Amino acid sequence: MNIMTDKEIYRIWAPLGKKWTEWVRPVPFVEIHEYSKQYIVTPFEMPATDFSNEIYADAALIVDLPGAESVEWGIALAKQGYRPIPLFNGTIEQTGARTTVDNQSVGVALIQGAQELLKTDIPEDALPVFLLDSNRLHRHRIDVSVFDNSWDIYAHDMPSPQFFGNNGIHKIVVISDFIGNDLKKILYGYQKKKMEIYRMKVYDEPKKIRIHKPFDLDSE
Amino acid sequence: MKLIPIPKEKYDEYKLTLMFDCYKWDPQYLDNNTVAPYALVITQEEHKELVQYIEKLDKETTAAEEYLNQHQELIKPLALPKRIRREIHKITNYEPDKHVRLKRYDFHPTIEGKWAVSEVNSDVPGGYAEGSFMPKLALETIDGEDKYWCMNFGENLVAAICSKVRAGGRIMLVHCTSYSDDRQVMQFLGDRLKEKGFEVIYGAADHVKFENGKAYSTLDGNEGVLDMVYRYTPLEWMIEMRRKYYKDYYGSTVPTCNHPIAMYAQTKRFPLVWDELEKNGISMATWRELLPETLEVKDAKGKEGYIYKPACGRVGDGISIKEACVDDEYKKILKDVKWHPKKYLAQKKFIAKPLETEEGEQFHVCLGCYTVDGKHAGYYARISKSLRIDSNAADTPVLIEKA
Repeated sequence: MNIMTDKEIYRIWAPLGKKWTEWVRPVPFVEIHEYSKQYIVTPFEMPATDFSNEIYADAALIVDLPGAESVEWGIALAKQGYRPIPLFNGTIEQTGARTTVDNQSVGVALIQGAQELLKTDIPEDALPVFLLDSNRLHRHRIDVSVFDNSWDIYAHDMPSPQFFGNNGIHKIVVISDFIGNDLKKILYGYQKKKMEIYRMKVYDEPKKIRIHKPFDLDSE
Repeated sequence: MKLIPIPKEKYDEYKLTLMFDCYKWDPQYLDNNTVAPYALVITQEEHKELVQYIEKLDKETTAAEEYLNQHQELIKPLALPKRIRREIHKITNYEPDKHVRLKRYDFHPTIEGKWAVSEVNSDVPGGYAEGSFMPKLALETIDGEDKYWCMNFGENLVAAICSKVRAGGRIMLVHCTSYSDDRQVMQFLGDRLKEKGFEVIYGAADHVKFENGKAYSTLDGNEGVLDMVYRYTPLEWMIEMRRKYYKDYYGSTVPTCNHPIAMYAQTKRFPLVWDELEKNGISMATWRELLPETLEVKDAKGKEGYIYKPACGRVGDGISIKEACVDDEYKKILKDVKWHPKKYLAQKKFIAKPLETEEGEQFHVCLGCYTVDGKHAGYYARISKSLRIDSNAADTPVLIEKA
C-alpha cells in the first residue's frame, strides 16, 4: 500500500471547497510520519454515537477528549454526517527533552482517521465537529527543565459567533469530561452573543450550562 | 506599488505549499484567510527609495539606543516596564559587533503619495518565512522570474549569524514553546541554521541561565554552554519567568539576537525622547520625516485626529482606530488610556492610501522592511481591508519589478 504524504492526509481532513475546512490546523499534519513514527499502531476504535436528539439540529460540536480518542469520536460523528475539523495545535519537543504533553500520539490517529474518512460520504451541508486534545492543558512540570509543549485553544482558532449564526448554528455542544479555562473563554464569548452552550459527558445526555466569566478574561 | 493576483487555478496549491513547505502554520485567523491571493509588487524606484530610508532610519535608531544606554537619565519618558527599568542600566559592556541586531520598520503608503512609518519592531519582529520562502514561491507560481525578483530575508539573517557565531556552535532558539505561531518562525530559522552546521536547541525562556558573562542551556537532555541565544520571546515576558536566571543577562557577552538594548526603540514611546536626543547631537531627521507626530496622551487632549497606541503593543493590537475596532473594543481602549495614560501615547493619524485590485477591491498595506546589522535585509507585507493592520490581516509576498 502506498503511504500517503502529509499533504494528502491533510487534504482528506480538509478537502477543498467544503464548508468549515478552513479551520483545520495544519500543525499536526506537517511531517506527520516523522513525528508519529515511534508509535505502534493500535486498532482504531470508534465509539457508538447517536446524535438524533433535536438539540443537535442547529449545533456545532466540540469534542474535547484525549487526542486519539477525540479523533475516534470525530470519525464516528463523520459517519453520522458531521464534518470533523481537527484543531490540534501542539508542537513537537526538542530532541532528548522530556515533555508535558505527548503531541505525537494524535498523528497516528489522524493517519488512521484519514483512511476511514476516505470511505465516508459527508454531506455538503454537514454541521462541524471541532476536535481538541484535552491533554493539551497538562502544564505541570516535574522540573523546570522539562519542555512545555502544552497549548491553549484561542477564540481566533475557531469561527466567530457571527459566522456560526450566519450558517444557522445557534448552539455549541461540548463533549468532554472537563472544560478547560481556555475553552471556557471561547464559550463565554459565544454565550455573550446569545449562543446556547450544552455540555455532554461521554455517553450522557447533553445539559444546558451557563458559563461564568473566566477570572482572567480581562487581562488578555 | 500594486497588487497582482495569484492565478485562481494555482491558489490552492500555493497555499498548501506555503503551509507544508514554507512554515505557514497559521493560515486562518477567526473567519479570515491569512494567505492573500495577491502578491505586492514594488517598482525598482520604490525599492531604492525604501532602502535609503530604511538604512537612514536604522542608523538613527542604533545611534539613539546606544546613546540612551549611556544616558539612563533620559529614559524615563519611555515608561519601560518596571522590571526592565530596574535592570537595563546593567548594560555596561554592549559591543554591537558581537551581536546580531535585527529590526523591522513598518511602512505605509499615504494619500499624499509619500511614505509613513508606523513603528519599528525592534525587539522580536516576526514574519521570517513570509519574507523568505513566500516571495520565491509566488515568483514560481506566477511564472514571474522575467519581470520580478525578490529578496530572501532568511539568507541575510543566517549570514549575519554565521559571521558572529563559531562554526558548529550551539544556538538556543528561545521562544514560547506552547505557541505554534512562534514555533513556526523558530522552526524556519532552526532548519536554516542546521543546514549551516549549527547545533540548534528549541527552548523556552526558562531554559536559559546567564552566569559570569556566559549563557547555559538548562533544558532537559540538552544542558551545556550556549554559543548564541536567539530570542523570540519579548523581553518584557522573558524576564518575568525566571528572574534570578536573568540577573546576568544584561551584562552577558554571549552573542544574542536581539540584545536587550532593543527595548529602547521597541516601546512605542520612543519618539518622546527625541527632543532630548537631538539636543545632544543625535539626529532623528528621517524618523521625524516619516513618523506621524507623537505626543504624551495628556498633550493630545482636545486635539482632533489622534489615535492612542499602547507603549508595549504588538501586532497592531490595542490601537484606537475607531473604524477598525470591533464590539466594545474602542470603549475599552479609551477606558484603559484614561486609567493608564503612561502606558500609551497619542499619535497623529495618517491617511493610508489603499491599493485597488483589478477586481476593484481595496486593501491597506503594511510593508515591513527588515534591517540586519544596519543593512536592509528583506520585506514582509500584510494587507487588510481594515485601516488597522493587525492579526486579521493577510500575508502577502513582496516582489520587486526588474529595472
